[in-house]
Amino acid sequence: MVTEPAYEFETQDILLNVGPQHPSTHGVFRMVLSVDGEVVRDLVPHIGYLHRGAEKLCETMDYRQGIGFMDRTEYLAAFNAELSYVMAVEALTDIEVPERAQWIRMILCELNRLSSHFMFMGAFGIDVGVFATPFIYAWIGREALIDLFEEVSGDRMMFAYFRPGGLAWDVPRNFKQRVNEALVVAEQGIKDFDTMLTENEIFVARTTGVGKISAAEAIDWGMSGPSIRASGVPLDVRRDEPYLMYDQVEWDVIVGENGDVYDRYYCRLLEMRESVKIIRQCLEKMPDTGPIMPEKMPRMLRTAPGEVYVRTEAPRGEYGVYLVSKGGNRPHRLKVRSACLANLQALRDMSVGQYVADAIVVLGSIDIVLSEVDR
Amino acid sequence: MAVTPQTELNPRDREGAVVATTDAPEAPPTAPEVPTTTPDLPEIPVILPGEHPLEAPLLTPVPHTPGKALYKQILPGVMQVPLDLVLAASRKSSLWPMTFGLACCAIEMIGTYMAHYDLDRFGIVPWPSPRQSDVMIVAGTVTKKMAPAVKLLYEQMPNPKWVISMGACATNGGPYTRYDRVLQGVDKIIPVDVYVPGCPPRPEALIDSFLALQEKIMEERKSTGR
Amino acid sequence: MTNESTDQTETAPEDDLSSTIWPQVDRALAGITARGEAGRIDLIVHVPRDEVIDALRRLKTDETLSFDYLRSLTAVDNEDEGMDVVYHLYSTTTRHNVTVKATLPNEDLSLDTATPVWKGANWLERETAEMFGIRFHGHPDPRNLLMPEDMTDVFPLRKSHPLAEIEILQGEGMGYPEEGA
Repeated sequence: MVTEPAYEFETQDILLNVGPQHPSTHGVFRMVLSVDGEVVRDLVPHIGYLHRGAEKLCETMDYRQGIGFMDRTEYLAAFNAELSYVMAVEALTDIEVPERAQWIRMILCELNRLSSHFMFMGAFGIDVGVFATPFIYAWIGREALIDLFEEVSGDRMMFAYFRPGGLAWDVPRNFKQRVNEALVVAEQGIKDFDTMLTENEIFVARTTGVGKISAAEAIDWGMSGPSIRASGVPLDVRRDEPYLMYDQVEWDVIVGENGDVYDRYYCRLLEMRESVKIIRQCLEKMPDTGPIMPEKMPRMLRTAPGEVYVRTEAPRGEYGVYLVSKGGNRPHRLKVRSACLANLQALRDMSVGQYVADAIVVLGSIDIVLSEVDR
Repeated sequence: MAVTPQTELNPRDREGAVVATTDAPEAPPTAPEVPTTTPDLPEIPVILPGEHPLEAPLLTPVPHTPGKALYKQILPGVMQVPLDLVLAASRKSSLWPMTFGLACCAIEMIGTYMAHYDLDRFGIVPWPSPRQSDVMIVAGTVTKKMAPAVKLLYEQMPNPKWVISMGACATNGGPYTRYDRVLQGVDKIIPVDVYVPGCPPRPEALIDSFLALQEKIMEERKSTGR
Repeated sequence: MTNESTDQTETAPEDDLSSTIWPQVDRALAGITARGEAGRIDLIVHVPRDEVIDALRRLKTDETLSFDYLRSLTAVDNEDEGMDVVYHLYSTTTRHNVTVKATLPNEDLSLDTATPVWKGANWLERETAEMFGIRFHGHPDPRNLLMPEDMTDVFPLRKSHPLAEIEILQGEGMGYPEEGA
């Protein structure tokens, strides 16, 4: 007969600090885990280590100067970040963007989504424990895309290529051919990741059923992008409120079922295929010649008083720009709605009750960019 | 075996020693004078080496020319360099930078490590811990909230250590320099060896900064305390 | 109170809000002195600050609208005219958008929290609070989010908070000649 064990340990939760400098926190993110053995009992995220006042600085700058700050808020998908800002300025100034410029914008945004998801694949692979190999594979596709961006815009990361009204300059003459070449590399990269990770037994065991979040919770937290679509919510700004030319191409919104880490990974992988599909259609439908800026553009952009909230679908979710103008040539208030901030809020709900090692995987699966979180 | 009395060989007996040296003929030092004056001992025939009929031709003194020391000779396949040069050359050839991404520049830093630009061919291998690292690449904006952590990481690195300030933000605050939560350059808190311009710098610029750092390590090899 | 609201809504259709979702919003907000305004993309609803949380909860639970998704929450500093707290709502089922605005006077920058309505309002309110100095009553975790936690008297996004002059910050150590030298 066993009544009570002869010995009794009083277990104590241990505080475990991760960050702000830690290889697996994707930047300067800090979280304090309260662990009981290997199980996470509580998680307190600390952010703000990269708060550098992009919103405040934009208020003191001309509308065109603000583009550069938008690039730097979302440095993995700078085209998508520029797009929201530029569209907000266009909405306030009633500028019509020529059709060809819209097609080019759409191609570049989708290419940027590919390169951003490549980065996710590499970093997430490392988080799961596949050391360095996925990163090197990811960079094959990413460098091909970055080279293309550089040919188009002149910079590898901070493009500042979209301007209110259209584009800074026309694309190179062999643009279509170059995009096709980059797509071949990117498709091979997608295939590589599909064979390397998707059915990898260890990878599946590490990710399935980890970090679940239900659809209702995800909506309540305001999550967006692949992180919420993995939970089964078909929320995609491209489909719900089409901007650019997204209503003229055919593609599918990828929706997951379980809302776990594996679904978040797999949604992104399938989304890359959809992006390739969109770009191929864009290349067919894009006119070869045509203006890229309206005929008459004012030398100094002045907006009418008013406010506008423009949202687009960036790789990490909804990237919104809330622009308030009181007239003049600079915004009165600029607010960047960050998808990462909202996704990161749900990290605690997703991680509590998991193992410590899985908390890192959960953090990797929501694919944060710290400068978008802190701005 | 002959036993020499203590009194005679006692080195403290100065008189005897003086007598012994003065009585000794000025022979080559290879032929020591055996103390034959001791009366109690049986006579031992002493044949000096030079007097032996067989050994005499062998012992003709040869003029001694001091040869080159081994360390001054140039042997085939051996290079002679000062030790500090060896140390500096080994330091510069295996720089281990700490993987320390702060902001946008971190992405270009990762890109430089990858196969396309391949920093490994310079012996530069990223290492995630400050305790084993030589170089700290400050890649990105240092905010005032982050500054204590950056300084702590620098202090955790063992000597000798170097710092590369990558990008405009780490150098002087860059585009964000007017915002008061941003540190106006990482050199306000830690010493910086190489500044890399650019926002963000291209991978080639980062590689160039490593080459410049290697040059600097070779130049400052004699300085101490680093 | 109801009469006042209907009076105001009758004056509002200068912008012709009948094509927007304003009639449904007005019905959902019956009893609250809301005023509609046509925005560039979305409908803007002005609500007095004491009734904001009530209005938000009604907008969320209303069956035809069901604004269940909080896109963004921020504030705008209008200097002498007080501060606006702005909520951007979205409905994942009906795909409607609405912007809810509440104006706070400069003398009393405080508001009830929206965290009981949406969990996601938590960090957005913390950020708004530290950046503008607006207090959210009943917030479960009223610490600073982006700024250091002990720094509660600096509000960077207020218009009264200046940016530093480049010369002042960068002149030091740049080899500028001393004054009078």
